[in-house]
Amino acid sequence: MDPITPDHNDKDGSGFKRYLERIRDRFELDHVAYAGVNPVSGKSHGYMTYDQEWSRHYLEHRFYEIDPVLIKARHSIAPVDWARLEKGLEFQTVFRDARAFGITDRGLTIPVRGPFGDVGGFSVLRDCSRREWDLLIGEIIGDLQAAAVHMHDAIIRSDPLSSVLGAPSLSSREIEILQWTVAGKSQQDIGDILSISHRTVEVHLRSARSKLQALTTAQAIGRAINLGLIYPR
Amino acid sequence: MILVIDAINKDRFASVLDEMFKLRARVFGDRLGWQVNVVDGRERDVFDDLDPAYAVGLDDDGNVVSCVRALQTTGPHMLSDVFYAILDGEPPLRSPHLWESTRFCVDTQRLGRGRGPNSVSYATCELMIASLEAAKRAGVSDIVTVIDPVMDRVLKRSGNAPYDYVGRQAEMGKVPALAALLDCTDERIARIRKFSGIEGDVFLSEEEALCLLARRAVRAPAKSALEIYCDEQVAAATTTQERVAALRLRAALADRVRSRSDISA
Repeated sequence: MDPITPDHNDKDGSGFKRYLERIRDRFELDHVAYAGVNPVSGKSHGYMTYDQEWSRHYLEHRFYEIDPVLIKARHSIAPVDWARLEKGLEFQTVFRDARAFGITDRGLTIPVRGPFGDVGGFSVLRDCSRREWDLLIGEIIGDLQAAAVHMHDAIIRSDPLSSVLGAPSLSSREIEILQWTVAGKSQQDIGDILSISHRTVEVHLRSARSKLQALTTAQAIGRAINLGLIYPR
Repeated sequence: MILVIDAINKDRFASVLDEMFKLRARVFGDRLGWQVNVVDGRERDVFDDLDPAYAVGLDDDGNVVSCVRALQTTGPHMLSDVFYAILDGEPPLRSPHLWESTRFCVDTQRLGRGRGPNSVSYATCELMIASLEAAKRAGVSDIVTVIDPVMDRVLKRSGNAPYDYVGRQAEMGKVPALAALLDCTDERIARIRKFSGIEGDVFLSEEEALCLLARRAVRAPAKSALEIYCDEQVAAATTTQERVAALRLRAALADRVRSRSDISA
């Protein structure tokens, strides 16, 4: 999966929309949506794969002011299955209309928190049975977590105000492990070299990927080389 | 049994959380002598205001017997903001697949010795199983947990030995603290289950928990005139526009009602 490439000329966020569409297609979802708030700039951001009609209806009725998927779910730390929200009148008000537009209420929102008090919610929807839904989510939840944080970070970082917050702060252990990876060592080798568990190596690599806004270790290495954190082989 | 409380259901379980903060004051303030802030018999810190998730153990009478707190490492958490001495000035780990667990404790006064359902050992293992299973279900692969050497020994003795540590052991006040890593895998969960003999579902659903608490005859606080007014406005709304406005008003005022009760609590 390709990461979102920072592009300051992309004023209408078409890169973010394309990313959501890739997620939707890859995991065979009906829709994917992201909404977040950047406290540094005070800006709200929203991207979705819904049709224009529903988006327009949603904005016209100011559903964003009551929608529990937006407002409540992102205060959780674990992904929120919409079954947890459906009893509330707020949910029923939004989703009674949503159904008329062919939008299912079978969904899940992954809350994201960033280091600056920035918060976001990454929602996925598919119209299917409860059983099928649970199986699907069980299979892809780890990938969705990565996708959610990646999308959120890219959006927060895309703001000119936030980009002055500086380069990613990798620990010396994360840099060391990336450098050994460039040298062609496996996680097992690196664990042996550094006298740590190979699972610890993996945890550091996951962290390095997240900080460098990369989805794969190869992407992370590319970015770390560009930033001068590690040396090419 | 373990009840998971987060921002979405915390209003329904305010009494449980209050009891949990009292347990934390007894354990971390009194028994362990950590440098924690105890006000009015309750131990709370800034991270409790960031809507963490809590796993809370309730006994058959609905008493709080154990608890632990979880935060995402992508946002503010203790290792990044408080326990940085452990990391020797290094930036903390940050990953969508890593949660931080802190304030793990059990009520050693209420619980007995041995290995039975009302023992310290059982309550500890039940909470560890629930934490790992909840994290795994959320797509989280590992937990970094800030503990003292006593808890480290408890983990090792319960089939839940950390697979590694990050940073170094550091003195936090009078007490040494360390950051241990736990994988949220079926193998680890099975080891704890085998050690403790705990089989089946360890989670309490919200409905089950409410039934259990209702039996304790805890009366819900009466609604204020303001809340009644808001409910009436919502009920009287005839158009979607009116209802959205009424719901928005109720949400805005609910925060004020809540923050007022927090101050008086």
